[in-house]
Amino acid sequence: MNNGTSAEAPLIELSNGQKQFGLFQALTNINLAINEGEIVTLLGPSGCGKTTLMRIIAGFETLTSGTLKIDGKDVASLPPEKRPVNMVFQRYALFPHLDVFDNVAYGLKVKGVEKEERRRRVQAMLRTVQMESLSHRFIGELSGGQCQRVALARALVNGPRVLLLDEPLAALDLKIRQHMLGEMKRIQLETGATFVYVTHDQDEAMILSDRVVLIDHGQIVQVDRPQDMYFRPRSLFAAKFLGETNLFEGKLTVSGIGQLSLETQDGPFEVVSNDAAVSGNDAAVMSVRPEAMSFRQSNAQLDYAVDAEIADVIFSGSRSFFHLVSLGGQKFRVQVQNMPGAALPVAGDKVHVSWRKDSATVLPLSRISS
Amino acid sequence: MMLLKAVVYATLAYLLIPLVVIILFSFNAEQSFSFPINGYSLRWYALIFEDPQLGQALVKSLMIATATAIVTLVLGTAASLAWLRLGRFGRSVLEILCITPIALPGLFLGVSLLVLAAQLGVRLSTVTIVVSHVVLSVPMLMIAMRARLALFDRTLEEASRDLGASQIGTFKRITLPLIAPTLISCAILSFALSFDEFVVTSFVAGTETTLPMYIWSMMRRTVTPLINSVSTLALLFSIAVMAIGFFVGRFKRASALSERASS
Repeated sequence: MNNGTSAEAPLIELSNGQKQFGLFQALTNINLAINEGEIVTLLGPSGCGKTTLMRIIAGFETLTSGTLKIDGKDVASLPPEKRPVNMVFQRYALFPHLDVFDNVAYGLKVKGVEKEERRRRVQAMLRTVQMESLSHRFIGELSGGQCQRVALARALVNGPRVLLLDEPLAALDLKIRQHMLGEMKRIQLETGATFVYVTHDQDEAMILSDRVVLIDHGQIVQVDRPQDMYFRPRSLFAAKFLGETNLFEGKLTVSGIGQLSLETQDGPFEVVSNDAAVSGNDAAVMSVRPEAMSFRQSNAQLDYAVDAEIADVIFSGSRSFFHLVSLGGQKFRVQVQNMPGAALPVAGDKVHVSWRKDSATVLPLSRISS
Repeated sequence: MMLLKAVVYATLAYLLIPLVVIILFSFNAEQSFSFPINGYSLRWYALIFEDPQLGQALVKSLMIATATAIVTLVLGTAASLAWLRLGRFGRSVLEILCITPIALPGLFLGVSLLVLAAQLGVRLSTVTIVVSHVVLSVPMLMIAMRARLALFDRTLEEASRDLGASQIGTFKRITLPLIAPTLISCAILSFALSFDEFVVTSFVAGTETTLPMYIWSMMRRTVTPLINSVSTLALLFSIAVMAIGFFVGRFKRASALSERASS
């Protein structure tokens, strides 16, 4: 799955990577190329192997088999301190016996950068992360968001080719998290470093990434741009992991040349057998995002429709969420953008719900993970 | 609340009054141990310097305590590094092995060390005293260290490696400074432990005489106020050692800051 988007050699290249801890297979057949200047997210549920993959790139773990190249060079024999890579740790791992300035200066100091030069670069970096005024504070005197900034500065001041970030926002509360996401994007643009970002949070992944690497049970499930992964998931796992989706389950039967019909509780849906690896007699699901469905009556351009009854309505400001049960007994959700004065159905209403063909994805049911 | 306060003060008094009594009587002008004190003098301090045997015993004890503290510090550092890298099972085994001697009464430890020395044909000397004191102080160091090291975050070492420091560099710049306060307080504690150790010492000392042994033999003959002045000096010495430890830490921080401000 080499999804390199540029013609140049990728900055990080993993081929046939395997990792075993004793009998446990942590990573299986990892093939991944990361390009210079990209923000790539390793996304997956906890225990899926994403942190292990990052620790392999950093040099804290070694591949059981396969190769890892950074900048075209095999780095298997390089210890962490010799790799052109820096890491932001999950709980920051800032040095508590040093103040902000000395934490950031640490990498330059051990590399023997001359004092005046060191001071200049540390101060410039502290300015970038807006921590200049707190440079004499000790780590214990900082808030979570400030620690985050120091951790970023401490890694970036070394000018790494790749910055690895291990769930850096997990310890922050929601409001600061959103602010720091914006900050990280800004800092990435300013420094031009390649970011490899580990998270289990699909929102962070979609907001931040150029590309998302979805990992499940130690395997790469899909590598795509966030919008492609959201609208064109290649597996049921991907459809369920990124955002919310409605799943109409059924059996595929051949209904014509290149035409398949998904027989569900709510009648047949005609589908084109295209990129989804589905064929006749397969159990399959149609995945539709709640916001892709509408209550419109004139359904000229809408390809699929079901009749349903509204069980519950949740109003949440800009949007409303409808819980519905179809005539066939299928539970699903619809999300509608609220407009002032718009007449929306209420609980108990019988409605006609429809959606377009290109907003639905038919996926095989065979391999359900999670 | 009142009761709680009273208990706290009573406990403090219980701990400190003997010390105050010793200090007071060390300045007593008379021989007798009775209140009220009639007049103060430094004669008991002067006497310390007139008793060459006492002086020798004191110097010997200081040497032994210093050696014990250094050896314990080295062993303790090594043990803490090992402890940090062990799993749960390994930690338990290490702790059990290291802490067992503390459960053994000093009397039996003294006997067993004496028998061991005889079996090995080792001549009893200052060296055997230091070895015995290290056996005593290591378990105590392990107990003191365990609580502190359990809080040590090993990702700090990884962060240091990630930032370009070698394994040795990481030890020097990160691990050691972080465990140093614990190690230093442990070293001071083992110094104190060694300085007044009597039971085990009496078995393995051979012909050597340490300060506690000398005081004990002195007391057997007659109770003399000289003991008060010696104890007061020892107390002052202990406080000084701890104060130095405290101020060194302060001074390092201040000088680092001023250096940066001037550059």
